[in-house]
Amino acid sequence: MTPTLPDILIGCLLTLNAPLPPEAAGDYMAARMGLLAMLAALAAQEAERGPAARIWENQAIGDLFAHLSDDYRAHFSDTLAAAAQAGDGDFTWSGLDRTNAALRSVLIDLHQEAERRDDGDLQRAILKLYQAMADARRLDLAGATGG
Amino acid sequence: MTLAERLGAYLSRTSGSPTTIEALSRIPGGASRETYSFDAVTRGRREGFILRRDPAGSLIETDRRLEFLAIRSFAGKGVAAPEAILLEEQGGELERPFFIMSRVEGGVTGSPLAADPLGEHGGAIGKQFFSFLGKIAAEPIDDLPLRQAAVCPKQPDCWRRELDYWAGVIDADEQHPQPIVRAAIRRLYRTAPPPPAKIAVVHGDYRLGNFLHDGAGRILAILDWEMAHLGDPLEDLAWSMDPLWSHPGDGRISGMVPREEALAIWRRASGLDIDAAALAWWSLFASVKGQAIWTSAAKAWRDGGMVEPILAFSGWYTARRHDQILAERLVALGAL
Repeated sequence: MTPTLPDILIGCLLTLNAPLPPEAAGDYMAARMGLLAMLAALAAQEAERGPAARIWENQAIGDLFAHLSDDYRAHFSDTLAAAAQAGDGDFTWSGLDRTNAALRSVLIDLHQEAERRDDGDLQRAILKLYQAMADARRLDLAGATGG
Repeated sequence: MTLAERLGAYLSRTSGSPTTIEALSRIPGGASRETYSFDAVTRGRREGFILRRDPAGSLIETDRRLEFLAIRSFAGKGVAAPEAILLEEQGGELERPFFIMSRVEGGVTGSPLAADPLGEHGGAIGKQFFSFLGKIAAEPIDDLPLRQAAVCPKQPDCWRRELDYWAGVIDADEQHPQPIVRAAIRRLYRTAPPPPAKIAVVHGDYRLGNFLHDGAGRILAILDWEMAHLGDPLEDLAWSMDPLWSHPGDGRISGMVPREEALAIWRRASGLDIDAAALAWWSLFASVKGQAIWTSAAKAWRDGGMVEPILAFSGWYTARRHDQILAERLVALGAL
């Protein structure tokens, strides 16, 4: 999922350093500073929860694959093996995201295959996983605005 | 030359009257146009205007002529469209295409991020908001200025035209696999909605945050017509009610009126029935469209040197919020 936390922090720095023309002073500048403050607060949330969310998601997708029936596993054996090696123990943000991208790509293919086979049970399991993934990655605005 | 000097030079040249620009000030919000407020002083006469100029890089690739003609289509039609005054497609002294419209004085916007964005006036504003939207849907399209520039789809093709476009945006701009929105797109393709009762003008971004109100319960102007097109009027209705624009847990649409009341107001104003299955389809579509816009925002932010925080916010917080909304919708819909 982009932007990543390092992107956001670098972007805040670049934004603060970017010169603005005189007509951008006033409300525009104030709104820009407000957004930067909000991004900083959201970045604090992401710093706290982001690695755990990524590790959990990668594990959860892996668990889903581990419990697939043999015919699904045979169908996806090559791509699953490649996805498992994508991050290969790299727990940096970029490493976790690289693993995640590979796993998500196979998950998309698996979901399509479940739809093609009219496999309602697997489809529902994947949809519940999506919901959990989205919740794990949530950013809470109340915490960012002090509200 | 400063932007004010260049704008003054343009207006002096095109009007034939020496014009100076005062109080030029960029307005925050909106990522698809640079928006400025300014006073033009010509022969001692001062008037307030709004300048909408294409940015160097845009969140949404839209045609400013369409936006200009869409606003003009609703002048005097009782939906609080501002007055579109001048369109410059080549850019002239401002180097990028722009248009100028009248400035509505004294208006404030409501933020979708606020818990109670309209306060005690939410109900009164909601009645106007959904009534205006119904009037836009009711307007016959054939003689509107917008028809000069907007493609008119066949009724059965409305959904596919929009879905193809926004799915294409995700294909082009995605930087990390997004299984949730992909699942929603597949579902939309497999469950086409019934055709609309009529082709109508679709504002394209009709929601809280895109109108000005007077702080006392009256809408002054409907803004941000840059995604206007012709299509199924339920597209706007669904977009306006997307959960993204409402505070979680508030039973009202964007702090205005409850959903059923909003639908009833829209029905009365438009004279159209609402097909429940069609509205459900357009509701899921609205969240897909949103996710497409946020996907583009993330890419535009990076490509633009990461200096526009509104793009970072849209591509990050808003994208994640829409993933939650989409996942919730998909779980409720169940297996295909």
